[in-house]
Amino acid sequence: MPSMKHEDSGRSYWRSLDELADTPEFKTFMHREFPAGASELMQEDRRSFLKIMGASMALAGVGLAGCRRWPEQMVLPYAERPEGSAPGMADSYATIMELGGVATGTLATSYNGRPTKIEGNPDHPGSLGATTRYGQACILDLYDPDRSREPRIATKERRTKATWDEWNAFSADHFDALRSSGGAGFWILSEATRSPSIESQQAELRSQFPKATWVTWEPLDNTNEAEGLTEAFGIRVRPVHDLSKAELIVSFESDLLNIHPDVLNLSRDWAAGRRPDHGSMNRMLVVESSLSVTGSKADDRWAMPSSRIPVLVARVAAIVLGDASIAEPFKNSGVKTPDAGTIANQLKDAAGRGAILAGPSQPAFVHRLVAMMNDALGNAGTTVSYIRENAESIRTASIRDLAAGMDAGGVETLLMLGGNPAYDAPADLEFANGLSKVKVSIHLADQDNETSQLCTWHLNRSHPLECWGDGRGWDGIYSVQQPLILPLFDGRSPVELLAQVNASSSPAGFDLVRKSFNKVNGTSGMAESFDPAWRRTLHAGVLAGSAAGTETLKARGGGLASGARALADTIDSSDAGLELSFVADSSVYDGRFANNGWLQELPDPLTRLTWDNAVLIGPSTAKDLGVGTGDMVKVSAGGESVEAAVLVQTGTASGTATLALGYGRRFAGRICTSSGFDFYPLRRSDAMWFQKGASITPTGGSYQLGTVQDHFAIDSVGGKGTAARLPVLFREASIETYNHDPDFVRAGDHGAHGLSLWQAQQFDGAQYRWGMSIDLNTCSGCSACVVACQAENNIPIVGKDQVLRGREMHWLRIDRYYRFQETSPGQYDTDQPLSVANQPLTCQHCENAPCEQVCPVAATIHSSDGLNVMVYNRCVGTRYCSNNCPYKVRRFNYFDYFRRDPLRETGLLQVQPDYYVKLQSGGDPLRRMQFNPEVTVRMRGVMEKCTFCTQRIQAAKIKTKNEWVKKPEAEKAAAKRIVIPDGTITPACAQACPNDVIVFGDLMDPDSRVSKLHANSRSYELLGELHVKPRNRYLARLTNSIHGERFPQDHSGGHGTSTDEHEESHG
Amino acid sequence: MMTTIPVDNTIEDPRRRSPLVLGHVEFGTVTEEICRVNEAPKPPKAWYVSLVISALAAGMLLVMIGYLILTGVGVWGNNNPVMWGFPIVNFVFWVGIGHAGTLISAILFLFRQKWRTSINRFAEAMTIFAVICAGTFPGIHIGRVWLAYWLFPIPNQMDLWPQFRSPLLWDVFAVGTYFTVSLIFWYVGMVPDLATLRDRSNTKIKAIAYGIFALGWRGSMRHWHRYERAYLLLAALATPLVLSVHSVVSFDFAVSQVPGWHTTIFPPYFVAGAIFSGFAMVMTLAIPAREIWGLKNFITMRHLENMNKIILVTGTMVGYAYGTEFFIAWYSGELYEKFAFVNRAFGQYAWAYWIMVSCNVAIPQLFWFKKVRTSIWIMFIVSLLVNVGMWFERFVIVVTSLAQDFLPSSWGYFTPTWVDVCTFIGSFGLFMTLFLLFIRYLPVLAISEIKGVMPAADPHAEHHEPVDTLGQEVQE
Repeated sequence: MPSMKHEDSGRSYWRSLDELADTPEFKTFMHREFPAGASELMQEDRRSFLKIMGASMALAGVGLAGCRRWPEQMVLPYAERPEGSAPGMADSYATIMELGGVATGTLATSYNGRPTKIEGNPDHPGSLGATTRYGQACILDLYDPDRSREPRIATKERRTKATWDEWNAFSADHFDALRSSGGAGFWILSEATRSPSIESQQAELRSQFPKATWVTWEPLDNTNEAEGLTEAFGIRVRPVHDLSKAELIVSFESDLLNIHPDVLNLSRDWAAGRRPDHGSMNRMLVVESSLSVTGSKADDRWAMPSSRIPVLVARVAAIVLGDASIAEPFKNSGVKTPDAGTIANQLKDAAGRGAILAGPSQPAFVHRLVAMMNDALGNAGTTVSYIRENAESIRTASIRDLAAGMDAGGVETLLMLGGNPAYDAPADLEFANGLSKVKVSIHLADQDNETSQLCTWHLNRSHPLECWGDGRGWDGIYSVQQPLILPLFDGRSPVELLAQVNASSSPAGFDLVRKSFNKVNGTSGMAESFDPAWRRTLHAGVLAGSAAGTETLKARGGGLASGARALADTIDSSDAGLELSFVADSSVYDGRFANNGWLQELPDPLTRLTWDNAVLIGPSTAKDLGVGTGDMVKVSAGGESVEAAVLVQTGTASGTATLALGYGRRFAGRICTSSGFDFYPLRRSDAMWFQKGASITPTGGSYQLGTVQDHFAIDSVGGKGTAARLPVLFREASIETYNHDPDFVRAGDHGAHGLSLWQAQQFDGAQYRWGMSIDLNTCSGCSACVVACQAENNIPIVGKDQVLRGREMHWLRIDRYYRFQETSPGQYDTDQPLSVANQPLTCQHCENAPCEQVCPVAATIHSSDGLNVMVYNRCVGTRYCSNNCPYKVRRFNYFDYFRRDPLRETGLLQVQPDYYVKLQSGGDPLRRMQFNPEVTVRMRGVMEKCTFCTQRIQAAKIKTKNEWVKKPEAEKAAAKRIVIPDGTITPACAQACPNDVIVFGDLMDPDSRVSKLHANSRSYELLGELHVKPRNRYLARLTNSIHGERFPQDHSGGHGTSTDEHEESHG
Repeated sequence: MMTTIPVDNTIEDPRRRSPLVLGHVEFGTVTEEICRVNEAPKPPKAWYVSLVISALAAGMLLVMIGYLILTGVGVWGNNNPVMWGFPIVNFVFWVGIGHAGTLISAILFLFRQKWRTSINRFAEAMTIFAVICAGTFPGIHIGRVWLAYWLFPIPNQMDLWPQFRSPLLWDVFAVGTYFTVSLIFWYVGMVPDLATLRDRSNTKIKAIAYGIFALGWRGSMRHWHRYERAYLLLAALATPLVLSVHSVVSFDFAVSQVPGWHTTIFPPYFVAGAIFSGFAMVMTLAIPAREIWGLKNFITMRHLENMNKIILVTGTMVGYAYGTEFFIAWYSGELYEKFAFVNRAFGQYAWAYWIMVSCNVAIPQLFWFKKVRTSIWIMFIVSLLVNVGMWFERFVIVVTSLAQDFLPSSWGYFTPTWVDVCTFIGSFGLFMTLFLLFIRYLPVLAISEIKGVMPAADPHAEHHEPVDTLGQEVQE
């Protein structure tokens, strides 16, 4: 832990120089005491060193430092190097990220004690090396300038900053008093967590405050599932799926590839079944109300309102379970569903090899039916197994009880560990109102957010990378969360705060976690340094064998008919009004990531919307309502109404509107303020996921939505042009077509292009040929790679204003296209897409790169390895390269995006000159701390693009060559070249991907994975007919629909006529 | 010596050639009338008003450039697919304008088109100023303006040269050469007239200033001999440049692989369009100038009509090129190429396309009628519309092709910002400021050359009157 150590070395040469210079920065630096100065320590690098050297010149009167464009920074090097660390070398530490009570293992990269990047932990079963977009982005939260930096206290008159000492003094008295009363009126509201340390603090809490009540609140928790499974099995269990064994996956509105606590495993296992070259391919059927990431990858998909999916499930269950009484109550409901028999037959055919999942929107009874069906079909035990949830260790209640208690005045002290209930609690509970009746409310939060502002005490929380903690994965495996850096703002973790409340003798996070580790591991004693299990766990990130054992359970069959009847009574079969459906937002989840710029600017996988959410309605519903994309509407339901913008989105069930939660935050963070619309006011505790009888009326206003991909109506010239070229750009076929004609992708080629006017000599003597393969069949479009790329390569965010101008900077983007069913010539059914295409696009590193030829200053050139390299220093910014790039993957720095405030409004002076912006926001060193020191931060006016993570390639080359020189001469002479073993180099995008979509490697090695994938019959070059010879190849998508081939016209030689006859016209 | 001078010198009479200069028989009055523009104690009010407006606009250009350099290229509307927007549109537009001058002075000179003498001087001036405006844009459009000199092959310690395969580099050479040769050509042609102004100057400052630039011209036989040789050689040198500069500018597009740019027709098509727009700009400037400074005797209706004919011809050539582009796009059967052209005409930028077609192809067809060709107001309006149309041609080529190229995911729409618009207006301000200063301080017409095309200059005028009277028709 180099970051934790500090050698105060007394006076040093460099420091005395600064003292001589007597700069104000130095004075402040001297004034501040560790650990606040920890941040400065982390910024040392070679450049700063040289600058300090330059300062002596300044002292000699030779020059002034005023004319530089890079910021001045002070440096304090180690006088003695901490053991085991080499300056400038990155270290990785295993830790976890907990979201929704599920810990996923991560590896945090640290440069000289400064965490810069999060990767998945390959040893953690919940990650296996992959990360979600949230996992990637949470590093930015550590350096969020809007993080709360100190506690705050509110009195009747005003709210002021406070110190931890004041809090310590207050809490000692307050909780002692509470303790003596047994904790009457003491409530704790926590985010979902399965941290054993917190659980042991809970147990301690129960003994000290027997009357205290614990409430867990997660706005997006799948509580229906927990309830349904409890009904089914009699005990609280959680399902653990193994979809790699599933030949058939049926999802009833479960977005298992995008929003699920165990998404990485679900996604990976789904993808494992989508590799037809390894045998057969799975089939996924999805029923949902609006297009989700999972729905976009479905082989067959039906759109229907969430409220009516239970009817379908009941009908399917009636057939599968052979119990007609389940479907009986729905017979006369008048609800039309897709053919239940088809789904049931599919399930029966795949008995024992199928998996049924239901999403959080579905009522408990549906989850029970799903469990019954999985049981009856023999899926339980193969594709799904159950583990027991931990028993509650304290009196628990629901947020509804808490709200009632607050309203009745029964809540004297409310301790909130994270969360933001004033923003995200169901609207009918009027949480904010109740909070005002609580005598002492304490909120531990990373931001001074909506809830904090209403509380007596706001306490700043430490980031997971700053504090000790622990957690359990979806399968129950135990992991330790270890800090990489001292708290930047002296925050506290929930477990430390609980220990303080419990007046624990050793409230330090480390001791608490160490204790609970012993408990979990069954060891005792605190011989920290010599406990090999502890060390191993810290090193590997998991405690081997700590996963919960699966339970052998039998679903209980009784009471199905009555359950169905009860459910039938709740189904509103009338067509009056619209149905609102609430979903998690792909970018900000439930709102907690709203102040994270990377996530705000991450385009939604399907709507491609950034910086906002919107009311999603289908084309025909929009037509009925008389609204279009960008129109402001008033959404009213249950007496509440919200004004928001409409986005017309295909795939939305007719008569429904989909509202993504998490936007419209009122907390004044500089990223999230004024982005999107808050739909929580429409969400009621009795209608958490959907609400019938809503109305949408246009207000006449309009709103600009920053989508990164323009929408062209299908009947416009652009729409028709898109439809015409999609079969060539995104090649897909059914598995039947593929089996019949494995070379079907060639039909999309314009013809052979082996001929060249000159001999390619540029790779003579090359040691490597880097290339990439991207599997369109297994890419779900989840966008974790996009965030990973952003984090690795110091890619700036540009803000909504710039997105609207089409200037987003992502080096890797995921294109999304829809194909629609042609109903009659030139007429398309745009309500439901026939196919959704996701196509990740990076620089293709063309061998005949069109960008290189047109650059007048040779700023983009070819390396001998075939990398198309961009020389930032040489670039003058003519932007010709981007014009000539057929893939449009080059990105231009129109401004100094790192200095610019991304929220700058468009006005007369739409942007302000750099020097002014620098004054406003450039002075904060926090953001700079995240930068990857291996990658240049680009200034304005230069072009940039994907480098295949050249810094990683370079690191691997150096390492390999260092080992090479030690080899015997004979071996060196025998080898033709220095081979870097396949798999050594993984670009950031490939590393994040759970589905192994992106494979990178050396094409010169015929046995490398990428060479084999390039040779695969499904592989094709995007725009290969331009003869640019891209080094990336795509593997065509295959579908496995019940109805067979979706696009017979693509594979009958029909579309080729327009292209094939002109194969000579290029080159 | 009195010859009957027809008032309407546009009449085609096969028996006699129409005169190119009206109202004068004596050389002296020609000198008087032209020098009056420079020597009048006060220029007309219109000059002051125009100069103030133009100078303000030119000042705005400077402010815009300052703002741009301080802030970043992002102040313009350029976006990700449309990396080139207004600056390059304006660059090509101004380079195009800059074509007429050298064409008139060099090519028409070599072809002995004597009517050129009345218009060549200010057409060349226009060329110089237009190329100055044009040269500004590529310089400021790059992301790091302060490094623009890297585009020049300057020997340096890193041994780093520009990349010679890039058409942008060819541009630097082509436009640079064109500007240099045009400037020298213009200046050399002006030397005898500068001497005239020197000799007539009534103040010391004028005498010295004109004297310096007159290079000691005394009008000796030897001077005239050397002068005419040099002028001829420069004309021969400038002639290929007229064709090369816009061909090279068109390579910026034709050498790339963007659908809608990647076309072999571009070089001739661009040259025709450049001449077309250049002549339109000459008309736009000449019509008010001859009214304000009373130069109708020199820039006669016949001159205007001749230029209108050239506009008609080149406009039709441009129209033919538009048609050919569509034919080839269809005939190639190439998916992206076909789309690029259908999209131009019927897609999101159809409005720009149809402005271009109506202004450049349809409206010049009015010049088939002599009545229209000789109507001052109509020809002035047509010349303005052609300028508009040719600007839109560049807009259509640059923006529509980039906005929707290969991958529909990256398609976009270009919207200019106020900075774009102000910079464009500002470039007109710069152009007009320079032009107005030129009119006031330099000989606006080629005095010595005009004298050469007068009947009085022909020693045999008496004997061969029907044959030798000057004023030939342009061969169309």
